[in-house]
Amino acid sequence: MGRLHAEEMVLNMGPQHPSTHGVLRLKLRTDGEIVSHIEPVIGYLHRSFEKHAENLEYQMVTPFTGRCDYLGAMGSEHGYAMAVEKMMGIELPERVEYLRVIFAELQRIASHLVALGTFGLDVGAITPFIYCFRERELILDLFEMASGARLLYNYIWIGGLAHDIPPGFVEKTYEFLDAFDKHVAEYNQILTGNKIFIERAADIGVMTPEIAINYGVTGPSLRASGVNIDIRRTQPYSIYDRFDFDVPLGEGIHGTVGDSWDRYYVRVLEMKESAKIVRQALDQLPVEGDVKSAIPRRIRPPKGEIYFRSENPRGELGYYIVSDGKNVPLRLKMRSPAFSNLSVINEIGQGFMISDVIAILGSLDIVLGEIDR
Amino acid sequence: MIQSLANWILSFDILAGMGNPVAWGLSLFVVSALIFVFVALNAIVLVYIERKVSAFMQVRLGPMRVGKFGSLQTVADALKLLQKEDIIPQMADKILFVIGPWVILVASVVTFAAIPFSDTLLAANMNIGLFYVVSISSIVVLGIVMAGWASNNKWSLYGAMRSAAQIISYEIPVGITLIAVVAVVGSLNLQTIVIAQGGTGNLFHWIPIPLPNWFVFHDPFLFLAAFIYLTGATAEINRTPFDIPESESELVAGFMTEFSGLRWALFFLSEYANATLVAFLVSIIFLGGWQSPFSTYGGAQVGFSILTLLAIMWTVFVKIKAKRLSIFPVGLSLVITLCAWLFPGFALWLASPGLFWMLLKVASIIFLLMWFRWTFPRLRVDQLMYVSWKVILPISLINLMGVAVWMWLTGEIQF
Repeated sequence: MGRLHAEEMVLNMGPQHPSTHGVLRLKLRTDGEIVSHIEPVIGYLHRSFEKHAENLEYQMVTPFTGRCDYLGAMGSEHGYAMAVEKMMGIELPERVEYLRVIFAELQRIASHLVALGTFGLDVGAITPFIYCFRERELILDLFEMASGARLLYNYIWIGGLAHDIPPGFVEKTYEFLDAFDKHVAEYNQILTGNKIFIERAADIGVMTPEIAINYGVTGPSLRASGVNIDIRRTQPYSIYDRFDFDVPLGEGIHGTVGDSWDRYYVRVLEMKESAKIVRQALDQLPVEGDVKSAIPRRIRPPKGEIYFRSENPRGELGYYIVSDGKNVPLRLKMRSPAFSNLSVINEIGQGFMISDVIAILGSLDIVLGEIDR
Repeated sequence: MIQSLANWILSFDILAGMGNPVAWGLSLFVVSALIFVFVALNAIVLVYIERKVSAFMQVRLGPMRVGKFGSLQTVADALKLLQKEDIIPQMADKILFVIGPWVILVASVVTFAAIPFSDTLLAANMNIGLFYVVSISSIVVLGIVMAGWASNNKWSLYGAMRSAAQIISYEIPVGITLIAVVAVVGSLNLQTIVIAQGGTGNLFHWIPIPLPNWFVFHDPFLFLAAFIYLTGATAEINRTPFDIPESESELVAGFMTEFSGLRWALFFLSEYANATLVAFLVSIIFLGGWQSPFSTYGGAQVGFSILTLLAIMWTVFVKIKAKRLSIFPVGLSLVITLCAWLFPGFALWLASPGLFWMLLKVASIIFLLMWFRWTFPRLRVDQLMYVSWKVILPISLINLMGVAVWMWLTGEIQF
């Protein structure tokens, strides 16, 4: 008998697949269960955000930014508003700055909750997902109080906010924060310390700092590799320099620095830090101030260009805006963090099993709306 | 049970003329139908319970709309499944695709023939009952591979291959664990195994804690064996944390991906039948089967007193948590306990029905399996194999030896 003829099998994962976090398609070359090559195929959710922006007035772009990263809409709006404000040199009232930070950080908690829950789902734990969504509901309730919407807010406008916060908002936020630490302890109990979970996540998809930097990975995934870069800390924008918070880094507690478990755990810690920031911002929140006072009548940034970056839940969100002095941007480019974060998957996922590829994908926390734009 | 049913039929004057073979055949049909009805109803009830249990673990309510507390939800779902279009993929191997689910269902239903539900309720009292159950239930893997291969879908194929590897790997440690029990009883007859666990004895033979004579308390090795068996059996029936063949987040739905409607319902039915079978085996082999834990006069009264204590604790819990007073369970159990102390015979009568204890034990094990499912993440394929071949198999081999040595030390067997 001759040698058994064996070859690699191409496996299409997605775009309809329960664990690709949307409409991502992964072309896997598999040898049995081992994956030898991963090719992400994107574009199934492409909605021409950048081209649209070239035909819309500046204030009209704001709702579209939220639709890109739909799990971190407040962060996207915040980044865009700050970019245009910087071009126009708008000085904001203190109250607006504080409220924006509160919303951005609450959004970060909400987004990380989804990341943790879906990562749990990816490795087969269903219950933590529901727990995470229980807390996310509370945050969405807060957002609904303020903006009327639960997912896409159009709340942070260029030069201010759509509305001031309603009465009772501050108290409810304090209430949420008081209960939140206990809930984080719950997640740690049911998922973080679970032996099977550690076995599934530790030492899987190790991303060394070199790989992370070469691929332009940012956000929690980068910090999990031990690289201390958080734009809120390294280039403080808005009023982040006034708050006292730590930047959690991956320590490789159960494996190597930069493995999937680290990426997961950095997010758990970041939620706690965000809660700390929200609490400080609420303590310092000025009572007086009109949130609409700085909104310009006419938004016509002077001729020129700007690249403004901010720390979104998923990483560095950059807006490159070219203005020719009209009320419509000549060109708007969004540097989306999840796009770069996804690109690393072939590098760190090779040689692992199909199940691991899913775990790695979950630990990168991608949002397809933002990758395809 | 079949012969006794036949005798009962023949005892009527009108029916006596049909003769033994016909009566026997009729009884066979009735008993088979009973078993199938049990399996089907059991699945419907279990699906409802599983949804409720998972809901309560996930701070939800679960089904609430259809029937009182959503109790008819699974009936509605089953009816919906029956109405669905029967889809056979164009490129599928049609014959295998059609018979695959049936092979699985038949293999898992037929095993119930040898299960003693109580001291009299037993379809076939086989002297190789345990061997029969273990061997027939492993035919399931054939159906899974058929279904996975016939679907002509890469995900299904992965699921089927994983399943085959998994079930075959876990069969070995599970079998060896069961041999340890067989070594103690000296019989493969499930009824004999249950009868051997009657009465009360000391924990591990020497430690003076009075416990029922169940094999889980027989000696430290069988105590460990119970856990090994439960782990291995969980893997064999593809439930979390070993639900790798149908791992939803990886393989879409594993070998079930291409199935819909009735065929898919068959998979579901057999899945719950298998879970129940494992629960039955654990109860029969390690937890005394239909033997009541309180089988003596004093034991029954102690048992009811414990029940009263539990009821009081439940009332306090409800009072603290829900801020309402539920007096009924305490009252009922107090009355029963009082009666039990006053009339010992009544207590024994009340505590003895074998079917009740059997189903209670089975329900507890099934609840345990559900508890696993809704709290644990899933293992990876290689980790699963590692657990089977490098952890459970050596332990179960040492266990078998340990049981033999123990039997020799306690003088239960002589060489």
